[in-house]
Amino acid sequence: MPELPELNPVIHGKLRLALLSLLVGVEEAEFTWLRARTGSTDGNLGAQLAKLEEAGYVAVEKKFVLRKPQTLYRMTEAGRLALGEYVQAMKQLLGGAIGG
Amino acid sequence: MMENREDLELNDRLQLIESMIAEGRRTTEKWAWTFVLWGVAYYVAIAWSAWGNATLAWPVTMIAASVVTGVVAGRIKSNKAKTTSGRAIGSVWMAMGFTLFALLMSLSVSGRYDLHVFVAIIGAMLGMANGISSMILRWKMQFACAGVWTATAVAACFTTDNQVSVIFLGAIFFCQIVFGIYGMIAESRRHGRSAAHA
Repeated sequence: MPELPELNPVIHGKLRLALLSLLVGVEEAEFTWLRARTGSTDGNLGAQLAKLEEAGYVAVEKKFVLRKPQTLYRMTEAGRLALGEYVQAMKQLLGGAIGG
Repeated sequence: MMENREDLELNDRLQLIESMIAEGRRTTEKWAWTFVLWGVAYYVAIAWSAWGNATLAWPVTMIAASVVTGVVAGRIKSNKAKTTSGRAIGSVWMAMGFTLFALLMSLSVSGRYDLHVFVAIIGAMLGMANGISSMILRWKMQFACAGVWTATAVAACFTTDNQVSVIFLGAIFFCQIVFGIYGMIAESRRHGRSAAHA
């Protein structure tokens, strides 16, 4: 029996997975945009993004635009790679059940 | 039973990934208002040059419209995500704007200004920019506008002064005002849907 892959626990969290999936389709995104797309609260979103940043999956840039603070997030290469591996592992786990 | 539940959860995760990727790639920028603004600016410049100062009308109106576009776009741009396709489309329109301005100003200053050449250049440039945008966005309505602008450019080479004026005014109405309002309605509908989704 082939050994089944383990799912990356950093990515497996539903909100963190949603965040990485959103960021993979864009160059960079603002905190407020991510909050609107995920419907999350400020506190929870900040905490989950901090975990992704700690893992090196997202990079953060803080700046001021028209005197207003703006926090931009972008996916790193490590994040892109980890999400790809996660999806592959999940497909392997699902096997024949995929899409069903 | 347990295995089924785990499969369902994993499928749920895969669907989440797919829906979030689609959400991220969906165009979120609102630019249809610029079509209406520039359509109105063209009309103002035409009216001003016909009944007022023909030398100043176009440069002043175009600079004013550029400033208004920049200021309003700067304010709208918060709460957004940057996409590659959005940057590509923005680059095309910016490059077109600079080229058009430099060329028309040079023709005007050098005294080589001619109504037919003027309409042909505007029609060709707007036809090209709309064509590229429509192909990136796969938007048939904008592709039709590209066709109208290109046809206007071609018609400008073969028609009389009166005919070319009427064709130009008609192209501005359909491809700037009507298309802009249609785009604004489409954007607000899309925004409503994504707000409900979030």
